[in-house]
Amino acid sequence: MKKFLNISLLSLVAISSLMLGSCKNEVDEIFDEDAVARLEKAKTEYIDILTSNGGKWQMEYYANSDEPGYIYLMTFNKNGSVTISGKNQWIGLIQGQNFGTMGYGSETSLWDVITDNGPVLSLNSFNKFFHLFADPEDIPSTDTEAPDETGYGHEGDYEFDLMKYSNDTLYITGKKYGIDMIMTRVAADVEDEVYINEVVAMADSFFNAKIPQVYINLPNGVRWIVKNGATSILKMFREGADEISTAETHNIIITHDGLSFMNPISIDGYLIQNFIRQADGSLLCRDDNQTTMTADPLATVFQGTTLTWRLDLDNLGGVFAELLPQISSELKSYNNSTLVYGQISYIPANSTYAVTFNVKRGSTKINPTYYFTMDAQSDTQMKFNVGEGDRAGQLYAEKVPSMRAFVDAMGSGTYQMSANSLLAPISMRFTQGSNYMIWNIL
Amino acid sequence: MTMKKIQYYISALMLVAVAAMSLSSCSEDKLGPTIFPDVDERLDPTSYTYQLDKFLTENYLKKYNLTFLYKMPDVSTNMNYNLVPATYENSVDLAVLCKYLWFDVYDKVAGEDFLKSYGPRIILLIGSPAYNPTSGTEIVGLAEGGIKVSLFKVNAMRISDFNMMNEYYFKTMHHEFAHILHQTKTYPNEFNTISIGHYDSNNWQDRSEGQVASLGFVTTYASSEFREDFAETIANYIVKTESQWNRILDMASRGWASGDEDDVTSQFYCYYYYPDNDATQDLVYVDEYNVFIETDEEGNVHKYWRNFRDPEGNRIVVYDVEDNDKIDGAEAILKKVQIARTWLKDSWGVDLDELRNEVQTRQATYDINELRKLVYDIQ
Repeated sequence: MKKFLNISLLSLVAISSLMLGSCKNEVDEIFDEDAVARLEKAKTEYIDILTSNGGKWQMEYYANSDEPGYIYLMTFNKNGSVTISGKNQWIGLIQGQNFGTMGYGSETSLWDVITDNGPVLSLNSFNKFFHLFADPEDIPSTDTEAPDETGYGHEGDYEFDLMKYSNDTLYITGKKYGIDMIMTRVAADVEDEVYINEVVAMADSFFNAKIPQVYINLPNGVRWIVKNGATSILKMFREGADEISTAETHNIIITHDGLSFMNPISIDGYLIQNFIRQADGSLLCRDDNQTTMTADPLATVFQGTTLTWRLDLDNLGGVFAELLPQISSELKSYNNSTLVYGQISYIPANSTYAVTFNVKRGSTKINPTYYFTMDAQSDTQMKFNVGEGDRAGQLYAEKVPSMRAFVDAMGSGTYQMSANSLLAPISMRFTQGSNYMIWNIL
Repeated sequence: MTMKKIQYYISALMLVAVAAMSLSSCSEDKLGPTIFPDVDERLDPTSYTYQLDKFLTENYLKKYNLTFLYKMPDVSTNMNYNLVPATYENSVDLAVLCKYLWFDVYDKVAGEDFLKSYGPRIILLIGSPAYNPTSGTEIVGLAEGGIKVSLFKVNAMRISDFNMMNEYYFKTMHHEFAHILHQTKTYPNEFNTISIGHYDSNNWQDRSEGQVASLGFVTTYASSEFREDFAETIANYIVKTESQWNRILDMASRGWASGDEDDVTSQFYCYYYYPDNDATQDLVYVDEYNVFIETDEEGNVHKYWRNFRDPEGNRIVVYDVEDNDKIDGAEAILKKVQIARTWLKDSWGVDLDELRNEVQTRQATYDINELRKLVYDIQ
């Protein structure tokens, strides 16, 4: 009993002190205005920032740390509406396309800056192309073994603490899940779909699933191998290290001018996050201005033993352009057949490369093949050493001399190589004077 | 009263006294003019949402002091759930339908002051369901402290599917409002005794509607506890059509049995045994659409399982499951309705049947395009 009363009395004193303290009217003058006024002022300032100069912003949006980031364009209007545009596979899915096919979508919904502990950007009415990442429904997938995400969804945010504004960049943090993101101002006259498609093209120029790997080149001369770039969930490990036991994964976002990791990452003691696309198509780290991201030289990529390259029959120059109609004419004269395609691949059984012409006669397909080796004269120069053909190749060399002439033209001299992209060279042009041919990765 | 309790109350009283003194010392603070603008000043004719905002101000805020929140601030919801806001278009639809099918009904039946006094002060629209992934359930509606009613799944709203509209919105609002009313004036304890011993607060979601009807409940959720039973009884009685209500009573009059829980097509109950009234045989689920009923010359009723025959080609005879729970489910439900009817009349002056008739008439005849004009015709 006594103990209880003591506790009660102590509690009374403590609570009384607290309550009396709360009546103190003197407040240290740290700020010129009270908290409510300052919050309202901040709200007004951020509304002005968001809607000024056309009100168009690029949001680098991350739903969670297991997915790539997605670019959205948002145009904030003073009337409380916002037009949100994006292009990704999830939009494609709700548009009824096959899983994995990207779709472009643009829809107008509502926004506001509300006050909580600070100003908060709230995208507060449902926009089907954006809020899909916050929707708690199961994530559609073609994988029947996929987990049921009902109740969770992607767990993306649609309310963002407005942390800082500097140099036309807004630094924001997801309200519920706390992921840091940025928004950058975009010119008002930019057309959303054009801009978004440029981002997609940028992504295509960096990574392609058929190009096995690219490299991060650190200032100390060490390289990290980067795989799975086309998924935007990069698998990275130090060159020479064991891939299985040392590889790390990091999600990235492809932006209009480069790519960024979701968070700064430390590799070999270097802190990197943002890469800017250079004129030559490589990527330079904006954070240290030294680290780069490159791919194998074109000559190395073209000699990849797992790749197949198909000749662009509609884009030939010089002697090749002259020979193609002759091939067609001779095929017709010989056995009324037509040329379907030409392709280059590696023949493991012969440890050599082969150029194969696919010829169709009725329902019959014949593949005259000619073997050759490749001799890289430099990173971007290639010499083809053409040899004999297989039986069909020899027969067609006799019956369709232009076919053999085409192959011999390939083998004459050195070709200068160029590609659609330095990092994802899926289309290579071989030029020698006015002669040129383009081979596309299959 | 035990000594311990007396000590608690004394301590509590002292605390209150000290607190009152402390607070009273703050009374010299002078309050300035309100920092909040007048409701009309908040309306911006250039706003994208002016029409809806104007409608909500006139029909909800000014009339009932009710804030109709359709721009969902996540911070005003339970942050443990993953939720999304409602679409603007669906918010417009729900705003006009709530007025027509709910607020106007109470105004007409109970008088305009009724909802002003007891109606909710906030209606919050939420676009998605609120899933409980661990239990596999979802929250259909939420009433917090008699002040705020949250309506979920607004983005999946199907205007033409009135069962869906009732289930997620209007029945939910009647349900939550019933809670508000009985938390203000208690309903007779007799209600709680009717189904005592048959509530299951933990596993109600695993029960079937036939099973709970036979036990005297209008829905599975009603069988979770007596307060929910009370709210569900009122809400379902109001919104269910005559045929839907009769179906509940019909199910309540039948026997039931558990089906195969591993069979996803099973309804976990059935009306009939197969075959030949042999309870040792496997149960079969036969719904009313798959039963062929034939009356012979003597007036005996024979029931057959439509489209199914035994190996000899004879039609399969099915029989009612014996109602062995010793409960007259229909009588229990009607008794509950009667208690609610009397309580609403005596405590609130509200005629439950008049309320029901008004709802039934309105939900059967409304024209959504006409109702939308209430918003979209605002200049």
